[in-house]
Amino acid sequence: MLQLAGIITFAVLFAVFLLLGFYGRFWRKGDLSKLDEWALGGRRFGAFIVWFLVGADLYTAYTFIAIPSSVFSIGAIYFFAVPYVAVTFGIAMWAMPKLWKVSKKEGHVTGADFVRKHFNSRSLAILVALVGIVAELPYIALQIVGMLSVMFVMLYGLGSIKLVSDLALILSFLILAVFTYFSGLRGATLTAIFKDALILFTVALVIIVAVLNIGFTKSFQSLPVKYYHLLPLQVNAYWSLFLMSALALYLYPHAITGSLSAKDPKSLRISQSLLPLYGVGLALLALFGILVYGSSSAHAFLLKIPAASRGTYVVPALIFYSLPSWLTGVAFLGIFIGGLVPASIMAISQSNLLTRNIIKEIKPNLTSKGEALVAKVGTIVFLFLALGFVFLFPLSYSVQLQLLGGILILQTLPSIFLGLITNKLNKYGLMAGLIVGIGYGLYLMEEANHFKTWTTTLITLPPFNFPLFIGLIALVANLVVVLVISLIALPFTNKNAVVEN
Amino acid sequence: MSDHSLDGSKRNRLIIITSAVLTIIPFIALIDIPFYNRTNPELGGLPFFYWYQILWLFLAAALFATAGVLYNRYGGE
Repeated sequence: MLQLAGIITFAVLFAVFLLLGFYGRFWRKGDLSKLDEWALGGRRFGAFIVWFLVGADLYTAYTFIAIPSSVFSIGAIYFFAVPYVAVTFGIAMWAMPKLWKVSKKEGHVTGADFVRKHFNSRSLAILVALVGIVAELPYIALQIVGMLSVMFVMLYGLGSIKLVSDLALILSFLILAVFTYFSGLRGATLTAIFKDALILFTVALVIIVAVLNIGFTKSFQSLPVKYYHLLPLQVNAYWSLFLMSALALYLYPHAITGSLSAKDPKSLRISQSLLPLYGVGLALLALFGILVYGSSSAHAFLLKIPAASRGTYVVPALIFYSLPSWLTGVAFLGIFIGGLVPASIMAISQSNLLTRNIIKEIKPNLTSKGEALVAKVGTIVFLFLALGFVFLFPLSYSVQLQLLGGILILQTLPSIFLGLITNKLNKYGLMAGLIVGIGYGLYLMEEANHFKTWTTTLITLPPFNFPLFIGLIALVANLVVVLVISLIALPFTNKNAVVEN
Repeated sequence: MSDHSLDGSKRNRLIIITSAVLTIIPFIALIDIPFYNRTNPELGGLPFFYWYQILWLFLAAALFATAGVLYNRYGGE
């Protein structure tokens, strides 16, 4: 269990964090009962703030729990997160300013807004919104796993492992729900800066301490070859994982929300182009999964935990055994709010979708006050649903939660990204493709895991004799359907356009 | 007058192509997995596979930012 000094620094910094969260309500003051203000911060953040806000989506539990956990238990293949964050911003710096401009002109707040207008289809927009909402759930679940892993290490020794992990989960969830309900995106922005400062500081510190005390040579020593680099069979899985993740990131509603809160397309482009630097912290954290093998005390602690959830505690354990207690408290708070802030940003974008693209379609005369109320209540409901996803995968495989979200959200790529490039796609084709992509993706998930507990998102499908990321296969199926139907419908679409003219 | 605008559009196209090439380089460097999928040369005990990709985080940011600044200044919105 964490010593008193650590608990005190954790508590004091958490109080500062809460102050910032609530001060955020008054920061660059706007009318928070309006949805634009609550959710987009009034669309006036500069390059620097957007850099942090979107970067905050990067330093999540994905970074300090899921990826190190997988590198620890499976090996080099889960370093795919690094090329993923290296290239994703190369896509974003061109796609997002384009989406920003359309959105500003038409008053869009979500990706589904864009789809509704561009393809003139309410049903497609509702479908895209629904997929966005569902795809965020496992991603939020991953954040809850991250928060609970810190709580677990802090409370370890208080009672049985079962009791401690239940307690950690309940505490984490309650804090998340209350925080999100009261703060909105403004709160999330200020706290994002605070959290990233803490995390960068501690990551740098632990890496220096661990590399000096343990070193890579000692950590790699006892490890099999799959930790040094990819096995030949993993090469195709590697690129399919990182390229698909790179395409998926900016389809997530929360990434779109973050981008749209920029004040102009040029500063948005610059902030995106510099974001690969943010990934350096992610890369170092991924290496914790290797370094922990060299720390006998941290490794011994991990061996006391059942293998199915062991990986989750890699980073907290390495920090706990490398730093003095008070610094551990600082680091733990960084990780804890590193799950809390993104989860709250994600839940906010879910409720944006719910109010604008689903409820308002059904009940168009909703007042803006009513809209904001629905959004806030929706957020809480979604957080509960996300909690359910926590139990979908064993904790050591929590990275699969994010990848599952990726499989789902990728299916909106034709409607959003291709929609930005062309207007020749047929809306029924897009709907059919989306449904086929999701259905096929989920079916492949079941098949890859032999209809048992989900532990993988890779599958070996003939004619190939190597595994690929299911998201890629489902997206290809989706695109084929979209293109075939659009080609068949093209003559009719053109005729309609002529008639309209 | 018309010569002037021709120059402008020619220069514009050059800027767009340059930004596109700068953006694509990191993709190529990282898609070529067989090139970096090996242990040696190590850096302080860290296999080539790892440090090569970390290095590309810096290079990607530099290339993307150059492309972004170029495009923002001369290429339009």
